[in-house]
Amino acid sequence: MTEPAIHLERLSKSYGEITAVDNLSLTIAPGTIFGFLGANGAGKTTTIRMLCGLARPTSGSATIGGADVWRERSVVRSKFGYVAQRFSLYPDLTVEENIRFFGGACRVPRSELPARTERLLVLTDLKAKRHAGAGDLSGGMRQLLALACALVHEPPLLFLDEPTSGLDPVHRQQMWNLLYDLSNRGITIFVTTHYMDEAERCTEVGFIERGRLLAKASPRALKESFQAKLLEIDVEPVMPALVRLRDTPGILGVSLRSGSLRLYAADPEKLLAEWRKKWPFPDIRFLGERWVEPDMEDVFTAYSQGYDAVLRPAKS
Amino acid sequence: MNRGSFSAIASVAYKEFLHIYRDKRVLILLLVLPPVFTLVFGHAFEAGEMTNVPALLINRDGTPRAERFMTLILANKTFQWQTQPPSITGEDDLLGHGVQASLVIPQGWSESLSNGNPIPLRLYADGSDTNTADLLEGKVQKTLADFQLGERQAMIDTLPEEVFELSKKLPVQVRKQFVSMMEPWSVDRKVLYNPKTRFIDYVVPGVIGLILQLITVTLMASTLAREREAGTLYQLMVTSLRRREIVLGKILPYLGISIALIVFIILLTGWHFDVQFHDPGALALICFLFLLCSLGMGLLISAISRTQTQAIQFSVFFLLPVFVLSGAFAPLEQLPRAIRYVSELFPLTHFCRAFRLVNLYRAAPEFYAPDLIMLSAGVLITFVGAGYLLRRIEQ
Repeated sequence: MTEPAIHLERLSKSYGEITAVDNLSLTIAPGTIFGFLGANGAGKTTTIRMLCGLARPTSGSATIGGADVWRERSVVRSKFGYVAQRFSLYPDLTVEENIRFFGGACRVPRSELPARTERLLVLTDLKAKRHAGAGDLSGGMRQLLALACALVHEPPLLFLDEPTSGLDPVHRQQMWNLLYDLSNRGITIFVTTHYMDEAERCTEVGFIERGRLLAKASPRALKESFQAKLLEIDVEPVMPALVRLRDTPGILGVSLRSGSLRLYAADPEKLLAEWRKKWPFPDIRFLGERWVEPDMEDVFTAYSQGYDAVLRPAKS
Repeated sequence: MNRGSFSAIASVAYKEFLHIYRDKRVLILLLVLPPVFTLVFGHAFEAGEMTNVPALLINRDGTPRAERFMTLILANKTFQWQTQPPSITGEDDLLGHGVQASLVIPQGWSESLSNGNPIPLRLYADGSDTNTADLLEGKVQKTLADFQLGERQAMIDTLPEEVFELSKKLPVQVRKQFVSMMEPWSVDRKVLYNPKTRFIDYVVPGVIGLILQLITVTLMASTLAREREAGTLYQLMVTSLRRREIVLGKILPYLGISIALIVFIILLTGWHFDVQFHDPGALALICFLFLLCSLGMGLLISAISRTQTQAIQFSVFFLLPVFVLSGAFAPLEQLPRAIRYVSELFPLTHFCRAFRLVNLYRAAPEFYAPDLIMLSAGVLITFVGAGYLLRRIEQ
């Protein structure tokens, strides 16, 4: 087996009383698109910052390409690119100046810099904007520029902290197409997101909640870890039904999808059988039911809400 | 340091230069303020002496002798007299009359002088700023002494012959003493170190230091804080740039600009105020150490501030006492001893002292070596301190 691109060993970070990352162990193989999923404040950004050598782990360790991310951070830093959550380029510099500056800062040889800048401008489709101020770009273009700056030293690994948050669907698609291109060239990608549909685009997904890793597997394996079949019902009126079903024994949670209600329950068949005999809500009309495939959001909801009854361990 | 490091520092320096170049407000600050400050401060401190102090002059005596004194005091350039009629009241209401002093020749003054029981002139002087009152009294006193001398000469000229006959009977020694006593005694003053006694020659290092301190500390303090506020500092730190490369790259453009400003101010003061500069090598060394020390100070402030606003606030709190206590515009010896120890902590104090020792005193290096050592220590402390604080940002 080749050396893992990233390896975390019981990595923890506390700020005073607060534990942001709690005993995180994780191995990511080279070439993976790893999606790191979690709610805001779950510990995604802290983990990335530790991996980038910007925060000192309280305990445990992590390595990138075999080198310790804290003790050997000056070595490790040439091995990855980092796109921060906030726009953190220089707004008063032009697109081209930003790329060239980060190239110089990452010790790209001066003779190679023009050609590489050109390639990155083409890759990120920013050629027409090369002389525009970075601060004048749209949100999507800013993220593309940030990506270009992170790639200027041609790293084998890329960290992206919520690269698509706040982007419109067109730019999100463009961003992901770019990530596929990069992955195709053998670059390992570590991306955090809280968009569930983006998790489906990754080759591997890790769920993090309150600093702990809940699950890590391919999207398919994660969906298969959904033990029960998922019941979707149509009722009318839908909101009172949602509220009352939520409190019904045997139902762990309810979510509204395109006007239908999805029920998370350990034994939905039994519930359905009971309802066929007697529908318990006389003022709500039962219109019909169907069995559906769980999607990423269902899986994440189940993991993050602790609906253990509907889950079985995912096969990595 | 290898070639890659030089190239990395150059990248940071160029980027920093672009920030300054693109920020039109900072650019105007850098281009317009130094010449304006130099001219304004230069002219402000040029005169050094009080002139045209508004004052009331009231003659209640009205005798020919009082008139003669009036002529003399009216010629004094220190005051701008408004002669008032004797009937005026409230001569001690200086604020009401919009003056800083009023001088009254009391009724019967001339007669009292003739009667051997001289009554004093009455001077009301504005003591609010503690300097003016003493100064005005001195000027009046001086004029009065001149007047007395004149009156005495007139009296001697009109003495009857008998007096001279009588005086011949006095012993020679006593007569000589009398002559000596009648002559005004004098000081033969020889001014050293600033022979033209121009205040501008004294205050030039203060002007240079003030402008540079203002610009270097505030601008330098903003740079790192701005990157921290914008989140770009983290982006810088995940590159393979080392801390010292970031710091050096940031300092270089400001150092270059500051050196250009010093040269410019020196040329301007030389041309406009005719200030002479002695021993350019020593002055350049003093300026260079002072610049590094100021930049280090700015860096230190930058490292403890989280935002640009904080950086500017810290800068102001640091710069205010520096301006008042550093002896840039007035001799340090005016300050109490305990405060002078505080003054020794400011780079501007040592800069001004060393600059004056070279330029006014033409002193040998051993005289200003202590100041150079203090400045060098300041450079070391601020840079090491800033480096240490920056290290903590990472964790």
